[in-house]
Amino acid sequence: MSFKVGIDVGGTFTDLFLWAEDGSVGSFKVLSTPQDPSLGVLDGIRLMAEARGMPVADFARATSLIVHGTTVATNAVLTRSGAPTALITTEGVRDALEMRRGIRERQYDNRFQNVVPLVPRRLRIPVTGRIDFRGEETAPLDLGSVGRATETLRRDGVTSVAICFMHSYANAAHERAAAALVRQTLPGLFTSVSSEVLPVIRFYDRVSTTVLNAYVGPVVKGYMQNLTSRLAGAGFAGVLLIMQSNGGLAVPAATERLPASTLLSGPAGGPRAAAVFASAQGRDDCILVDMGGTSFDASLVRHGAAALRHDGEIDRLRIALPMLDISTIGAGGGSIGWIDEGGLLRMGPASAGALPGPACYGRGGERPTSTDANLVLGYLDPAYFAGGRLKLDVTAAHSAIEVHIARPLSLSTEEAAAGMYRVINSNMANGVREITVKRGLDPREFPLLVAGGAGPLHACMIATELDIPTVIIPYAASTLCATGMLLCDLQHDFVRSCVEPLGAIGRERLRSLVDEMAAEGRRQLEAEGAGTIENQVALDLRYLKQYHEVTLPVTPELIAAGDWPAIAELFHAEHDRLYGYQLKAEGTGLELINVRVRSLGRTRPPALPRYPRGGADASEIRKGSRRAFVPESGSFAEVPVYDGHRLMAGNVIRGPALLERTDTTVFVSAAYTGEVDEAGSVVLKASQ
Amino acid sequence: MMKPKTDKVLAAIIGNAFKAITDEMSLTLEKTTRSPILCEAKDFVTGLYDAEGRMLEQTENLPILSFSLSPVCKHIAERFRGEVYPGDVFFHNDVFSFGNQNNDVAAFKPVFSGETLVGWAAAKGHQADIGGAVRGGYNPNATEVWQEALRIPAVKVYERGRLRRDVWELIFANIRLPIVEEDMRAEIGACTVGERRLLSLIDKYGLDAILAHKEYLFEASRKMMEAEIARIPQGEYFGESTVYYDGKNEGSTFKIRVRVKVEDRHITFDYSQSDPQTKGFVNGTYTSSASATILTFLQMVNPDIPHNDGMLQPIEIVIPEGTILNAAYPAATTFGNHLCPPNADAIIRALAPVIPERVTAGWNQLLCSLSTGLNPHRNDTYVDILFMGLKGGSGAMRDCDGYDHIGMIDASGGVLDQDYEMFEHTTPHTLIKHEYLRDSGGAGRQRGGLGVETIYRVGGDATQIVAFGDGDVEPAFGLDGATVGTLNKIELHYPDGRILTAKSKDLISGVPAGTVYVQHAGGGGGYGPPTERPIEKVRQEVRDGILSLESARDLYRVALDPATFELLAEETARLRGTPV
Repeated sequence: MSFKVGIDVGGTFTDLFLWAEDGSVGSFKVLSTPQDPSLGVLDGIRLMAEARGMPVADFARATSLIVHGTTVATNAVLTRSGAPTALITTEGVRDALEMRRGIRERQYDNRFQNVVPLVPRRLRIPVTGRIDFRGEETAPLDLGSVGRATETLRRDGVTSVAICFMHSYANAAHERAAAALVRQTLPGLFTSVSSEVLPVIRFYDRVSTTVLNAYVGPVVKGYMQNLTSRLAGAGFAGVLLIMQSNGGLAVPAATERLPASTLLSGPAGGPRAAAVFASAQGRDDCILVDMGGTSFDASLVRHGAAALRHDGEIDRLRIALPMLDISTIGAGGGSIGWIDEGGLLRMGPASAGALPGPACYGRGGERPTSTDANLVLGYLDPAYFAGGRLKLDVTAAHSAIEVHIARPLSLSTEEAAAGMYRVINSNMANGVREITVKRGLDPREFPLLVAGGAGPLHACMIATELDIPTVIIPYAASTLCATGMLLCDLQHDFVRSCVEPLGAIGRERLRSLVDEMAAEGRRQLEAEGAGTIENQVALDLRYLKQYHEVTLPVTPELIAAGDWPAIAELFHAEHDRLYGYQLKAEGTGLELINVRVRSLGRTRPPALPRYPRGGADASEIRKGSRRAFVPESGSFAEVPVYDGHRLMAGNVIRGPALLERTDTTVFVSAAYTGEVDEAGSVVLKASQ
Repeated sequence: MMKPKTDKVLAAIIGNAFKAITDEMSLTLEKTTRSPILCEAKDFVTGLYDAEGRMLEQTENLPILSFSLSPVCKHIAERFRGEVYPGDVFFHNDVFSFGNQNNDVAAFKPVFSGETLVGWAAAKGHQADIGGAVRGGYNPNATEVWQEALRIPAVKVYERGRLRRDVWELIFANIRLPIVEEDMRAEIGACTVGERRLLSLIDKYGLDAILAHKEYLFEASRKMMEAEIARIPQGEYFGESTVYYDGKNEGSTFKIRVRVKVEDRHITFDYSQSDPQTKGFVNGTYTSSASATILTFLQMVNPDIPHNDGMLQPIEIVIPEGTILNAAYPAATTFGNHLCPPNADAIIRALAPVIPERVTAGWNQLLCSLSTGLNPHRNDTYVDILFMGLKGGSGAMRDCDGYDHIGMIDASGGVLDQDYEMFEHTTPHTLIKHEYLRDSGGAGRQRGGLGVETIYRVGGDATQIVAFGDGDVEPAFGLDGATVGTLNKIELHYPDGRILTAKSKDLISGVPAGTVYVQHAGGGGGYGPPTERPIEKVRQEVRDGILSLESARDLYRVALDPATFELLAEETARLRGTPV
């Protein structure tokens, strides 16, 4: 028997998803160990071995594949515990990194401070030499000034260095020469060179990304080596792959070279799993929402994948590497309820986290959280939370809500809890609007796929708020990202800037740019042992004198043929779809900015189980009932409780009902009816 | 009508929904407009208003525009009472009927639920041209409105869903650039988005519920604002500031004087004692000056008060017509928005003595330039507003440093620098330097925000450079023993060695290729005695090169070894008069 394992290390929990050769699967959760996350990973492996009734070493040896999503890079940035880093850059622009184009995100808040830069000014070292916008050298690189910079690096005990020069996307000669000298002089240093990391126009985007890459480099590298050796120590001899923020996988060595590609690795597995579970409903699109302890992630899956963005941020720092477009707001089980000065009820964004946690955890939390409200509303069983491993204190939840919400608003405790439930649902619905309505898409046209430990209790109400008719809750809801990691492909993204009016570019030039990137992709994928390799091409285009570009996928044939008019047609149509107008009739020219290639190494994902078919009648798995709040009637009622572990395909559950699992509870509200599909998801539809 | 019971939870949800709508309107406008001042600098605002024109919610990118829609909306609602129909669209820019600036043209769309007018969706943005004598609208020689702009008093461009083609053509026949027509279509588009979403909200919760909870939201904001005002000691406070050079008479100065009266839960800003209006274009309009007042005051209160009409109810603003902040018909007023920085100075000076914990020291004032000409690389014309050059530092607060390179208070960090590489692609210029300006922030226990130095080499011949702004005479003031920030300046170093210092309102033609453009945006004022600044902070700033050894010694009384930047403890103790 062999196993494949997806592991998603989060802030509070490490989620694991186990797939066995016999087709059986399991979701597991252990507490994360932030000081050394690999310890939590090993705890998880022990837990899975135990569940399979095997000694750890045997289980590890039988595991052929581990796919791992890590928050190591993210945490290094958020807690400023990355490597002491320097920046060598073009004379005259060394402050771009810290200026962040002069933005202050909160305009009325004069106490709101700028972000502390990852490299202090004294370590942002200017060197002489200049390339112009055409890629032509206008002043030679002064290697002497680079040499003096290396002296500073040595003296200051820097362990990582970023090198980013003006217009290096057009001509990298100066960066290469500087990097060669640094690598030769200080061979132990981690070097991050902008023309290697992200050879793309826009200086601030590039310098910020290159510095982030340098800053997390030594940390990620150390972690990968530590993890690899711990896994080997436990007996693991299979393949280890790392989840990247672009939604694809890579070998650890590749992420050591481009560590910034793991900056948002955690949630990146979710959309793929969502696509697979949605496909059981005949859909290749869905809205994925994932509600955890502190945050709520929303993303839109279309044609089987989430969209990429190139303007992401971490801690207000720009990261321009491609990453999945996942929008995060501060709403989770730990979100704290409070009354603002105008007397309005608010939920979050502050969270009680895991410590002190919600009041009902009995770990010293005194503020009322979303989880406390859910307990008061009867949605959670105090004796069966986490399968009974954590007993919840109902009295503590009541009194926290009573003191902080009910009394100030002159409501009963239960009314206050219902209000908290309603407000956080409305916040999450707005989070969904961010990724749909604001991008010109109607959320009602997509099924809502709900994940996260806390998500399934709120699923129906988020859907109601948005008038979404169909909700899908996969059996792996609580570990969806870990599940998705097993289903992803190997993937590397490449980009080259080429700023020219579209018609002015030679066919050969464009083709050779594409070929160059495709060859690099092939080289990496072959080294990773990929089977089928596929390249996808996209062009970043805009109307002349526009500011924002549109990324337009194009076929290799159009590139090969140099068929600019056909590409222009596609652009007009895409611009119209996105922004409601096009300028074809006006004869406005197009401008190419970037050429992108994505190299995919298709994996053979494990087949997920099909649920055995049962009847519509689910009375056999009814465990009992309890008093719970029914939003449609605004009152409490005796609500049946079902055993969520014994569902069969075809079972029908009429709301109001609760489906309990050890890792999550599904609330089917009165207006919904759930039916279990063959992929094991509970599919909820608004009753007529 | 029976008043439905107020549901406090529903009120919060409706408040959320209003905000989501105006955000969506804003995004629509950002993505669909083409003029860089709209899609890059985001010089626009979108909002929802009730049937009477009271602000329900808005999304503001530049605070100076934030409070400029509601007065116009109230004006239109009143002026066209009984003549507003579903499918109407109004345009408006007229500064003598509550417009804030000629170039800021608004679109208003009434929202009807059945036969009932229930609200308005509106968008307003700075248009690239608005007719008048000078392309782009900044005419430093103007003495009356017609030399600046086409006046658009509230006018219907659509009635009952039908385009009034004659009216439309009359307007755009008087505007130079076709891009304005497209950008105004984008404004109508944003209003349509707002209308649809407001109607679906009404569908969902019912009109009566929306109306009842709207009042509750107003009340919630009003209470929050009243609570903030109640924390200010009651009394009358006076502040003044100076405006330099009206664009006509070099050396001319004008005073803004404000009397702030705080009584109970109400605050009044009375500008009656301010100087009369100028003969040039350096004049405010009622709306631009009221906006300046509100945004300055909002920075002194809880930043999380939801922005709606209720928030404004406890605030009264008195600006007699004929003064520099509210020029009488038919004065020129294009510079009016840029009177915000000196206006803010007067308010801060008035309130600093009574709420020292809530004010900033003086901010760097705006001095801006734009270059136009032919880009030989592209064989095409270009216009570049040098956003990166205009952004100086904010004033420090009692408990925190000023913000570096944030820009004038009326944008407060809402306008972004151009990207350096894109700048060199879209203009013929070469960037030489864009860095923090050493010693620019006023020295203090909390230092003022840093300004920047911007240097570029002009490419292309016959470049025209327009300068407008202030801050080249009087620096940003410090508070409580701190020093001032540095001044603004723009210099042109011609290839023949001549150096020309631009006036704060200036138009310079025929600048040859190879000229070096040098701009300093100054720093903000400091707060508190510089000798109270922690020595280690001073030392780090010297190490980082944003503070000179001399300033560390002379202003902060910290002596450092010039080679190693190590602290010279004895010397410092002697300078500070205390052991360190």
